[in-house]
Amino acid sequence: MSRVRPDRSIRVDAGDRCLRGQFSAMASPCEVLVDSDDIVAAERLTSLVADEAWRIEDKFSRYSPGNIIDRINTAGGEGVQVDDETAQLIDFSVTLNELSDGRFDITSGVLRRVWRFDGSNNIPTRHAVSDVMKHIGWHRVDWTSPILAMAPGMEIDLGGIGKEYAVDRCAGLLRNTTDAACLINFGGDLVATGKPRLRDAWQVGIEALNAQEQKSDRLVNLVIGGLATSGDARRFLMHNGIRFSHILDPTTGWPVPDAPRSITVAADSCTQAGMLSTLGMLKGAQAEAFLDAQGVQFWCNRGDGAVP
Amino acid sequence: MKNTDKISITAALTAATCTLLGTTALQPVQAQEEPGWDFNTSLLYYAESDDRVQDLSLKTLSRRTFVDDRILSLGLTVDALTGATPNGALPQSFPQTFTKPSGKNTFTTPPGEFPIDDSFRDTRVAISADWEQPLGRLYAMNVGVSASAEYDYLHLGVNAKLSRDFNNRNTTLSGGFAFASDQLDPVGGVPDPLTQMRNVRDDDDGNGGRASNDSKEILDLVLGITQVMSRNFLMQFNYSYSDSSGYLNDPYKILTSVDPITGEAVPVPQIPGTEGPSHLNYYENRPDTRSKHSLYTQGKYYMNGKVLDASYRYMTDDWEIDSHTIDMRLRWPIGDDKYLEPHLRFYTQTAAEFYQISLVDDGQPLPEYASADYRLADFDAITAGLKFGWKTGGGNDMSVRLELYSQSGNVSPSQLIGSQADQDVYPDMDAIIFQYSYMFGK
Amino acid sequence: MIISRFVAVLLALGILSGCSSMGVEPWERDVLAKEEMQLTTDAIEAATDDHIYFSKEASSGGRGFGGGGCGCN
Repeated sequence: MSRVRPDRSIRVDAGDRCLRGQFSAMASPCEVLVDSDDIVAAERLTSLVADEAWRIEDKFSRYSPGNIIDRINTAGGEGVQVDDETAQLIDFSVTLNELSDGRFDITSGVLRRVWRFDGSNNIPTRHAVSDVMKHIGWHRVDWTSPILAMAPGMEIDLGGIGKEYAVDRCAGLLRNTTDAACLINFGGDLVATGKPRLRDAWQVGIEALNAQEQKSDRLVNLVIGGLATSGDARRFLMHNGIRFSHILDPTTGWPVPDAPRSITVAADSCTQAGMLSTLGMLKGAQAEAFLDAQGVQFWCNRGDGAVP
Repeated sequence: MKNTDKISITAALTAATCTLLGTTALQPVQAQEEPGWDFNTSLLYYAESDDRVQDLSLKTLSRRTFVDDRILSLGLTVDALTGATPNGALPQSFPQTFTKPSGKNTFTTPPGEFPIDDSFRDTRVAISADWEQPLGRLYAMNVGVSASAEYDYLHLGVNAKLSRDFNNRNTTLSGGFAFASDQLDPVGGVPDPLTQMRNVRDDDDGNGGRASNDSKEILDLVLGITQVMSRNFLMQFNYSYSDSSGYLNDPYKILTSVDPITGEAVPVPQIPGTEGPSHLNYYENRPDTRSKHSLYTQGKYYMNGKVLDASYRYMTDDWEIDSHTIDMRLRWPIGDDKYLEPHLRFYTQTAAEFYQISLVDDGQPLPEYASADYRLADFDAITAGLKFGWKTGGGNDMSVRLELYSQSGNVSPSQLIGSQADQDVYPDMDAIIFQYSYMFGK
Repeated sequence: MIISRFVAVLLALGILSGCSSMGVEPWERDVLAKEEMQLTTDAIEAATDDHIYFSKEASSGGRGFGGGGCGCN
């Protein structure tokens, strides 16, 4: 697949009572809101964030030839030595794998070979799914830090962690560089590093449906912390009147039944928020019960009424 | 397979995240959902033909949505009423004089006109408060209070409703009740039913021996089903039961007593030095209980951007009134932000068992119950209106509507005595409804 | 009177049981979510009409509660 050169420009302008830097990364519109009047500083901070976001994108993207992910996925069974950052992300994904009883699995990306969520009628055959399942399963991966080895035909994909990780890394950079309160938002996964000077909080909108099925975007006042959303109502398949959500269960190869349309979670960091919302989605019908038990703030859209 | 201890997931995740990000503990998240405000306000002008009732009304409904879908609604209505309403007496070919409800003076109606009682209603204020919240995932409840006050009427009410969803929220069952306790303080006191209209008095006792007030209680029960029929079609079915007891009369309404042959009002001899009614009239009387049953069904149907709203209601009660109401609206969008909504309503009711246009002065005892209140008669009514709505620049909703309401009586010829056959015996009415509304919020 | 009441209850129960097979999936509620598809689109307009007709006719309510509370009937 030929790739258009990605747009690596940044733009800084005035936002709502703050300065706003914008750029594109990880297939999302990204913005950095800086609670300051210093345009030069805002440009510097946006540059800092954009560079880090692009670095992470290039390093862990599935589409960049020659990066660590590509080398792992084309190693043909050989062990690959990974650097510290990659090792930490892999360790993190192992923890998630354990916490989700195997449903969060970075080797599950190959399911995209048989599942194409384009709103059409085409669900794969059982045979096709069981074939591809032979190449899935973290238990099949030989991971002894820093060497990773897996059978040919298997792939790892850090897409489920990457964006939230990038948000938090960038937030860390900003905290070390400036005292100004900032909000980093990568396509809906966001974190606020502090309270803006002249307001009580950053105002963030969450798309939701209320109990009467009406679009009732909720306004959340975020002082500090992260918000992340899992789910995408536009990606699904319709077959025999049954809707198949794009949340696939790697232990079966099929969509998680009764997955919510989307889940938004508020947590101390964007990564925690993102992982909790992902774990919630993987719980399907038990999503709300699970998140209730975790004691976190969440907004769950089932398409039949949002439950905060 | 580990059935992981649920609580420890957050802790494990927090620890793992700290390791990943190389940070020590981060500050705890502070996120608070903002409650939303919704305001619905309107100005209403209502005016009937023939100098009858006119009403200017300001209404507001404020809703505040709290987290967890809990909603507080506060309503306030202020009405400025003027004009008068037919008092039940029949028009005659000669002038008639009546004592005003206050008992302090009289008024005279010219020949050929329906006597109208200028019931000096001036201002009415009504308030309501309603609390709505979900109970768990499938139940929702509503509780509310209402009160209204005008110079001769006080209303206090409570209501509550419980509803539950079934079938993936396609079916909602609901049940509710409302209880109201109303008190009437009529000007001039409560008249003795089926006694003659009194003369003007000049004694200082405001009510001349009458009770100064009376009361009634109303209990309403509603059972309803809302059902999603298809992606574009929603229906509702309600069964209601209403029980009123207490003073159900209209203290200002009378019946003319007529000559059994000519059908004309019977003159009353005037005592020199007193003022009073020129003809024989009696205060009305209705039973002191009333129970009503209603079946109501409504459907909303979406057709390519247009929405048809149609409803039918059947009501029957133990006063032998039956009614049918058909109400239809069609919302017709114009572009993205405007719409036109024509409206048609048909109504018909049969008369109360004790409704009669007049009493007969034939020496026989008066009936136990009798009323000439035009609202208890057999009549048809039609409403036709048009509403135009648009979104303002700020994304809020405004609309205006203009409607015509027309009532026409069906008094059966068998009720007519003598010259009544050539007279107008039912005060047909036309009214204009004009309302401007503005909804904004969030 | 009793018969018609009985029929009404049967009708309601029949509707309820028949209803269990009708309806839409949660993702098909897009049209039903529209403002103009709510059973009451304008609460004040509905209350206004209820009040006007309660004052001028012998019937009331149907959609919800009586909506009375005034000295006009």
